[in-house]
Amino acid sequence: MIKLNKISKVYRTKTIETTALNEIDLHIPKGEFLSIMGPSGCGKSTLLNIMGLLDEPSDGSILVSGQSIKNYASRETSKFRNQKLGFIFQSFHLIPDLSVLDNVELPLLYRNVSSKDRKQMASAALESVGLANRKSHFPSQLSGGQKQRVAIARAIVGNPEIILADEPTGNLDSVMGNEVMDILTKLNTQNGTTIVMVTHDESMAKKTHRLVRLYDGSQVA
Amino acid sequence: MISNYLKLAWRMLGRNKFFTFISLFGISFTLGILMVILSFLQSELGTNRPLTHKNDFVVVNMLTLKTEFFDTIVGVDTSFIDSKMVLDSTLEIKSSGSMQWNSEMNNGIAEEYLSDLPSAEKMTVFIEHSEYDVYINGVKLKLHSLHGDVNYWDLIDHQILDGRVFDKAEFDQAAKVVVISDKTALNYFGKTTGVVGNEMLLDGLNYKVIGMYKHFGKIVPYVSPDVVLPYTCAQLDNQDSFYHGFFCTLFKKKSGVSSEKLKEEIKYAASTIPMDHPSKPEGYEQLEFNPATYDEVFAQAIYYEREASKSLWIAKWILISLMSFFIVLPTLNLINLNVSRILDRSSEIGVRKAFGAHKGNIVAQFVFENVLQTLLGGLIGLGLAVFLIKLINKSGFIRNAILELSPNFFLYSFLVTLLFGILSGLLPAIKMSKLQIVNALKENKL
Repeated sequence: MIKLNKISKVYRTKTIETTALNEIDLHIPKGEFLSIMGPSGCGKSTLLNIMGLLDEPSDGSILVSGQSIKNYASRETSKFRNQKLGFIFQSFHLIPDLSVLDNVELPLLYRNVSSKDRKQMASAALESVGLANRKSHFPSQLSGGQKQRVAIARAIVGNPEIILADEPTGNLDSVMGNEVMDILTKLNTQNGTTIVMVTHDESMAKKTHRLVRLYDGSQVA
Repeated sequence: MISNYLKLAWRMLGRNKFFTFISLFGISFTLGILMVILSFLQSELGTNRPLTHKNDFVVVNMLTLKTEFFDTIVGVDTSFIDSKMVLDSTLEIKSSGSMQWNSEMNNGIAEEYLSDLPSAEKMTVFIEHSEYDVYINGVKLKLHSLHGDVNYWDLIDHQILDGRVFDKAEFDQAAKVVVISDKTALNYFGKTTGVVGNEMLLDGLNYKVIGMYKHFGKIVPYVSPDVVLPYTCAQLDNQDSFYHGFFCTLFKKKSGVSSEKLKEEIKYAASTIPMDHPSKPEGYEQLEFNPATYDEVFAQAIYYEREASKSLWIAKWILISLMSFFIVLPTLNLINLNVSRILDRSSEIGVRKAFGAHKGNIVAQFVFENVLQTLLGGLIGLGLAVFLIKLINKSGFIRNAILELSPNFFLYSFLVTLLFGILSGLLPAIKMSKLQIVNALKENKL
């Protein structure tokens, strides 16, 4: 599903060169729920961003769903992200001026989906995360857990093959965190969605199929 | 997608009210002023009444008597032939200057030499620059008159509100009849109804009012006189000569014929006018007409060049530069404001791109939002423009000009607003569409 070959990421300024990722080799098969752990600044989010085609590696190659990704700025990459990938961010990244339903519809805006179908699909996604009754609310009217569930609905509304979650429970208390984790686990087991999750929480990582540990940009386990 | 953009655009306006106020104030003020300028240009230079045939007009408002002075220049060269020095002289005749006398023409010249040009459908000759001082209850009223022929009414498309215009018999008999504007009726008679049939005292002579036309109020020439009389009523015996007099000539070209062809025919006609009339002023050997289209005549008032087409070209560029300057400065300001506004939304751009938006989607969204905001500003600007136009018309601030609110005015205003919206939104949108997703998401302003 996702294959990383010797992925490196180096940030260069005039005076300093910082290696964020150092020759990472990783293969994530279809249907796997993988977690990535490591101390702050070890390159977890950078790795996730590269897998999600949000960032470019300095070196190495990446295959997602069997396709080699080369030009990250191209229209094809946008289309690929839109159809194959779903993102969940630690700080939710909901658009505050749009209603819950409009936020969830967002990925469908960039596909040829009619307004009626968009609304139906977004409603179904919200129902699957237990927020059918919050469609017309705005993000500011929701709790943290509810916001993250809206973000999950947005990530799954387009039925992506892969969900990339960057510390999805990081801003939530344990009860809400567990709720979110349950939804992700259900998605993986019931729909067979491949999930890659960055987390700091060992207990959450234990609920996934496999754990990858990073330290100073290198894979240590 | 449009409804999503629309919702977002509407909510963005309410998000930062101070910013929205500043933007809308700038947009509406700029567009309001631009609309007033557009209304002025449209009113003065559009093909609206009474200038319906304006684009077919060629004007000869000047007859030039000219003479050129020549100097003979003698040059002496030396050369050696068979080792002997030989002197060789050359004579060269060069123009060293000219003398010109420009004035309106005698009507006799127009009628005899210009009335039958192949490319002209119709011609009218008239005297434009005369005024009558009349006194109403002891108050002086200055009436700008035009003495014309019957063709004047066919070429200048006045809207007759009451009565009729003078006919050929009245013209030939120099009948004391006058056609007046509704503005004159109001000023002179204190009313605009029932004035036809009344008498009007002009220069001590009684004229019968036979018709009334609508005063459109234009500063362009020939179309906004207060009173129109047959030129046969005018004192013509004191015209300067066989050549010079008081008259302008206005042609309407035949359809399908170019103005340039008619101009050429007019210039050729000048060469057929005899230069041996006893009234010819001493020393002038050539006669020239300098025909111009109606727009060129207007342009010559802005920037005079003897070659009328050059005047029009320069005047156009002066106007375009002024308008562009007036658009560019506020556009730059709005671009600046928009960049800071959009920067605030970099996380949103990151999210949209993460979920599949490409650069084109981002540009379209922000341009759409900006156009919507500009259209709102344009609507306020339109209100401001209508208020200013009414104020200008009421105050008579621009001489007698009456600015119009025609359908074209609204169309052009809409186009200018749209252009303003696209221009001021495009640059920030393109800049922001290039944001790297990772960097945009790091802003975390959502």
